[in-house]
Amino acid sequence: MLKPVYLDHAATTPVDPRVAAAMAQCLTMEGEFGNPASASHAYGDAAGALVETARAQVAACVGAAPAEVVWTSGATEANNLAIFGVAQYYREQGRHIVTARTEHKAVLDPCRELERRGWRVTRLAPDSAGVIDPGQVAEALQADTVLVSIMHVNNEIGVIQDIPAIGAACAQHGLARLHVDAAQSVGKTAVDFAQFGADLMSLSAHKVYGPKGVGALLVSRGVRREQRGVGWEQRAPVQLTALQFGGGQERGFRAGTVATHQVVGMGLAFELARKAPPSEAERIAALRERLWRGLASLGGTLRNGDAQRSVPHVLNTSFEGVEGESLLAAVRDRLAVSTGSACTSALQEPSYVLRALGRDDILSESSLRFGLGRSTSENDIDTAVAVVGEAVSRLRKISGA
Amino acid sequence: MKYSELTLHYFQTAPATGVLTGPDVYRGAAGNRAQGTWVQFDLRVSGNIIHAARFLAFACPHTIAATAWVAEHAGGPLSRGALPGGVQDLSERFAVPPEKRGRLLIIEDAWVAAATSALQR
Repeated sequence: MLKPVYLDHAATTPVDPRVAAAMAQCLTMEGEFGNPASASHAYGDAAGALVETARAQVAACVGAAPAEVVWTSGATEANNLAIFGVAQYYREQGRHIVTARTEHKAVLDPCRELERRGWRVTRLAPDSAGVIDPGQVAEALQADTVLVSIMHVNNEIGVIQDIPAIGAACAQHGLARLHVDAAQSVGKTAVDFAQFGADLMSLSAHKVYGPKGVGALLVSRGVRREQRGVGWEQRAPVQLTALQFGGGQERGFRAGTVATHQVVGMGLAFELARKAPPSEAERIAALRERLWRGLASLGGTLRNGDAQRSVPHVLNTSFEGVEGESLLAAVRDRLAVSTGSACTSALQEPSYVLRALGRDDILSESSLRFGLGRSTSENDIDTAVAVVGEAVSRLRKISGA
Repeated sequence: MKYSELTLHYFQTAPATGVLTGPDVYRGAAGNRAQGTWVQFDLRVSGNIIHAARFLAFACPHTIAATAWVAEHAGGPLSRGALPGGVQDLSERFAVPPEKRGRLLIIEDAWVAAATSALQR
């Protein structure tokens, strides 16, 4: 049986063979298997050097200083460390947090937990295209706001938020630190920690052809940037209360032996992403438009999210007259895509992101997210259009739509 | 979501899809598209015998499969409007998860509406 066409690169990507090879070099006796914290011998030194090379590679890809990179197990841990870490450290300054309804669960759930513990959380509603107006952020800031957490690229609809403008709003406020979940950004659109004016930024390796199980939190050291003349220079380095203890690694923010092979993989994956030619993004964008034209020709197809402000790799569409679970069931043997439903049990729930955009439950459930990637070909796109077209047509016939 | 082979078969083939027309056709529907599940049966009945049945469904694969099976096996005596097989049998036959069993009641309601219409002609 043929494998389904893989169009779920926004969920995860295959590890680049060059990355896998570099990781393998860090595992066995013949390679650099040492504990990077073991400064007492050459094995540790060699592993430590690889870790620092990877740190520099990640930093170079996202406009950060190497010293600002704190390794984590992934973007979820990075988000948790940023949100709980800031909330806890600055709890005497304030207990108000601003975020958006369309954030990833890895941001929304920590915020909800803080709410349970007594913090106040403002969740901004996007417009119907999925965009958060920076003015909304400015208006939401209160005297005791200690954190703003807004994602750069939305994982479901691919919409890019105006992070520099949001960063400026936070800077003018003075107290609010800006955390940006950029798990979906690297390799898809420009990311510049310094230019963004962010204090914290979460990164993931496996969205960019690196391994699962590793990510990073960028923690600003406060060496600020001549930005917009709003006083960045005076800003103190952001501080965090660590979530785990035992060894003091990663500036004390994240204790535990650094997994050399994992961070080496992430470092190389980010370097490869940084060096990818612009033509690749153009190729992906052209494929996405080919996909959209094909799906739009079915009729009753709605595009979710601002097409002009989204990364080229993501297309999210809803199909009128089609039940969501049946749509996914009808395509899944031939197509690997994500649905707009959160399958938390046998009963599916409509996507809260699409609901926040104003889609009704039925359209939110009948959506598909297509995630294009390096391996995606024109043939894959044409197959996807044919498979979805056949499914939509059949289900509409069954439903009498 | 995992589906049984029988569920997938009836979902994918969906026999007896469509509508019937004519003076001897009786229609019943239940559910609501806006709430995610809607089912309609058309029954061709004469002399209290169902000669043909068709269905339409806006629903999940389990519900489509069960509705298709009911329509396919509908031929025969009208038997006071009872759903062929019954809800419990459909639930077991198509391995319907507990959370979804309420949707089988929508199938039953649609069937009863069509059958009642035929019985009251």
